[in-house]
Amino acid sequence: MLNSSIPTLALLFQEAERGRFDQMFQAAAHPDLSKFLVIGALLFIIGVAGVLTRRNIIVIFMSIELILNAANLNFIAFSRYLSQTGNPNALAGQIFTVFVIVVAAAEAAIGLGIVIALYRNKETIWVDEIDLLKW
Amino acid sequence: MQKYIWLVPLLPLIGAAINGLLGRKLRFSETLIGGIAVGSVALSFLISAAAVYSYGFGGHAEWPKPYLTSQDGFSFNWIPGGAVSINQGGEARHEQQAQKQIEERLAAMTPEERSQPHPILIATTDSPRYSLLNIEWSYQLDPLSSIFMLIVTGVGLCIFVFATGYMHGEAGFYRFFAYMGLFMFAMLVLVMGSNFLMMFVGWEGVGLCSYLLIGYYFDRQEAANASRKAFITNRVGDFGFALAIFGVIATFGSAQYTEVFEQAKSFPIELLGHWGILSWIALGLFIGACGKSAQLPLHVWLPDAMAGPTPVSALIHAATMVTAGLYMVTRTNVIFQHSQTMLLVVALVGAATAIFAATIGITQNDIKKVLAYSTVSQLGFMFMACGVGAFAIGIFHVMTHAFFKALMFLGAGSVIHGMHHEQDMRRMGGLKKYMPYTYWTFMAGWLAICGIIPFSGFWSKDEILWKSASTTHIPLGWIVWLIGTIAATCTAFYMTRLMAMTFWGKERFLEGGAGGEADEAHASAYDKGLAAHDAVQPSAGDRPRHEPGEHVGPVHEDVAHHVGTHGHGDSSHHGAHIPHESPPSMWVPLAVLALLAVIGGFVGIGPAFRSITGSEHPGGRLHIVNWLNPIIWNPVTREFNPAEGGHEAAPAEGAHAEATATAEGAHGSASVYGDTGFNLAHSVENTTHSELATEWIFIVISLIVAGIGILLGMLFYVWRPELPNIWAQRLRPLYNASYHKYWVDELYGFVVTRRTMDAARGVYAFDSKLVDGIVNGLAWLSRQFSRIVGGVDKYFVDGLVNTVAAFIVRLMSPLFRAAQTGFTQNYALVMVLGLMLAVAAFFAKDIVTAVRAIVASVF
Repeated sequence: MLNSSIPTLALLFQEAERGRFDQMFQAAAHPDLSKFLVIGALLFIIGVAGVLTRRNIIVIFMSIELILNAANLNFIAFSRYLSQTGNPNALAGQIFTVFVIVVAAAEAAIGLGIVIALYRNKETIWVDEIDLLKW
Repeated sequence: MQKYIWLVPLLPLIGAAINGLLGRKLRFSETLIGGIAVGSVALSFLISAAAVYSYGFGGHAEWPKPYLTSQDGFSFNWIPGGAVSINQGGEARHEQQAQKQIEERLAAMTPEERSQPHPILIATTDSPRYSLLNIEWSYQLDPLSSIFMLIVTGVGLCIFVFATGYMHGEAGFYRFFAYMGLFMFAMLVLVMGSNFLMMFVGWEGVGLCSYLLIGYYFDRQEAANASRKAFITNRVGDFGFALAIFGVIATFGSAQYTEVFEQAKSFPIELLGHWGILSWIALGLFIGACGKSAQLPLHVWLPDAMAGPTPVSALIHAATMVTAGLYMVTRTNVIFQHSQTMLLVVALVGAATAIFAATIGITQNDIKKVLAYSTVSQLGFMFMACGVGAFAIGIFHVMTHAFFKALMFLGAGSVIHGMHHEQDMRRMGGLKKYMPYTYWTFMAGWLAICGIIPFSGFWSKDEILWKSASTTHIPLGWIVWLIGTIAATCTAFYMTRLMAMTFWGKERFLEGGAGGEADEAHASAYDKGLAAHDAVQPSAGDRPRHEPGEHVGPVHEDVAHHVGTHGHGDSSHHGAHIPHESPPSMWVPLAVLALLAVIGGFVGIGPAFRSITGSEHPGGRLHIVNWLNPIIWNPVTREFNPAEGGHEAAPAEGAHAEATATAEGAHGSASVYGDTGFNLAHSVENTTHSELATEWIFIVISLIVAGIGILLGMLFYVWRPELPNIWAQRLRPLYNASYHKYWVDELYGFVVTRRTMDAARGVYAFDSKLVDGIVNGLAWLSRQFSRIVGGVDKYFVDGLVNTVAAFIVRLMSPLFRAAQTGFTQNYALVMVLGLMLAVAAFFAKDIVTAVRAIVASVF
């Protein structure tokens, strides 16, 4: 009776119907896709929360890295999942991940450069003091 | 030869074009310019003479039929006018038709029936008539135009030759001869044209050339004013002429003489006081003639026209152009003879002009002014002749006048030339010793104009007076005769005065420097090193030195500064200012004209000499009356006069026939024109019981009055030179009136010129105050309106917009401003929230389902 078009939720609630220990054991021994996705989602939420709430621009950067890594984790998870199902294009996810890491590195380099420039001008890296966008 | 007459106007035009267009650019010499001008006119004259000879006397003479060049193919459709509606003269045509029907009925009746009174029913129709008006450019050779061609080219030739001498040294030599040639062309078109439109073209052309030539010395204010005055005065006349041409076209549907007169001759005659269409046409024509021929009240321009060079005065303002009015009246004699009213008007205006101008001539001191008034007076005589129905005699006087007046003008020019541009007769005197040729030729002109018997003026003037006394065309002929006789006396008097003051008596030019200021101007220009230029250089010649009324006495001035830069002769005479005879180029034309002035009258020997000559009009076609007769309409027979016997008729027989015809005409026209009241000649004839004796009485009278005039002149100016001043004192008011030309100029200045200026000022005020006021007022109104609209826009519309917009903006701005914190994280938060919202919205259904499933699984 579950809608098969929502795989994540469906997987979650399928697991819930088994016995608790068995479930835990099985999950630890053979972590399935949903585990990765849940962790990815958590990472993403932590990253978003960090971006939204922290005032230190370095920390915000770090939070952005978390978001990116959440995405990477999803890529990897789906890659693994798809390779188990025998999809020949499963490796695409891993390649994507490599790309994301490269982009993140570049981003970090530029972003930190900006931060340094900002600091030299404003003598602060607290984002609530950087309000030039306000007219 | 007739077929070449189109060359006659063309040659002077070509000459004028060459001189006018190239003369200055190529720096033609005076010889070349003069040669071109004189040569072209001489050729014209030769062609005219040959054409007239072959027309009148040659083997295939067409006389008296008019010869049109279109017969030989020379014509072109000048104005393809198209259809015209003939909407005038319906009444006259009615009468014409009725008359014809009555005559037909009467002819059909037996004599017994005719004696009984009978009602005759007449049916006339008055449907609109149409005609095809095509005006062709073709020349017409007929008795009238041939005389004018010969006068214009012949006298013109003499004057052209004279002018080459007179104008010698003028910077505008080429210009002068270009204008003169152009004038010859226009004048020849005027007299040779075969329709009214061509006459009008020539008419305007001569007016233009007159304007140009009067204003030849246009750097002089006086000449410029005179030229404008002539032009404007002529406009008044041309207006009447133009109306008359419209009338002719509207009545007859054609402008061709042959067609118009053929129709007009059967129109009913309009008696005194009856103003039919032909009277109106004649009035218009006569107004035109008054302007061109300087008749009262449009005579004012001619005396002023003397500001032009003297050859111009001779050619245009004495011999040819001013007689254009006579040409026109004689050409349209059919129309004039149809209107007794207009005949009377013509005669009275002519008589009034004759006496008016003659009395002015008595007191003028400028030699050219005297001649100018003399011309006006003689033109009056010519119109008298036309008015009393003697058109041929009028043309005869045109001819003799052309001879002797051209002669006298040229003689005056010669005097002025010899006197170094002195025109005041009070500074002349005793010139016969210095200028013998001029003197003797002038003498011929003097005797001719006074009317001494063998000279040309006698024949024409005496005929005019006789015809006035014996006219049956109009009433009041005796008044015309009386005025004419008095004017003739005055003529003899002032001409004798002119002779005496100029050629006889004391040599007054020695009393003071006789040189005109023109010479000084020449000298001063020379001193300043100015180049001769006709617009810059003060011109030499024809400059009256004295204002009218200015005292002229001995003038003591140093004459040594008159350094001779003056072009002609040796310069030694400038010191003493002794008059000198003019060069042959000037006195030879004088001699030719003098010869013509002496013998020119023999082509018109009057009927009073029939016992000597054997014929009333001796000489066949050579007699001017016989020559012109076929173009004169006879009101009795209602046809043009038949060509008289001419060569083949035996003299005695011819005389008899002519006498009979004359008698019939004289008594017959009484029936046509009704009772004309007291007739002087007939009254005398009733006393003497002899026509011949009556004519001789009038000849003797005119000779006596001429003698009285001459004797009075001699008495006043030769024998008793103190008399003029005494009589001028005694008759001071009359003298002043004459001296000031009856104040006509002042009157016109006050009545016409000043009123015109007033009217112009009024119209200007109307324009500047009312019209401009309306425009400005409208502008003011629209400005006020726009101010109101602007106010509404500014305060209401803008206010509304501003208020509402400002209110909304003010209302909303805190909200939006609050959103713009400037913190990046706020924006990021909004993005995240928005993303979440979007996802939630996208999966709304699934979320609801999932929540429901959870709830169901929990409970």
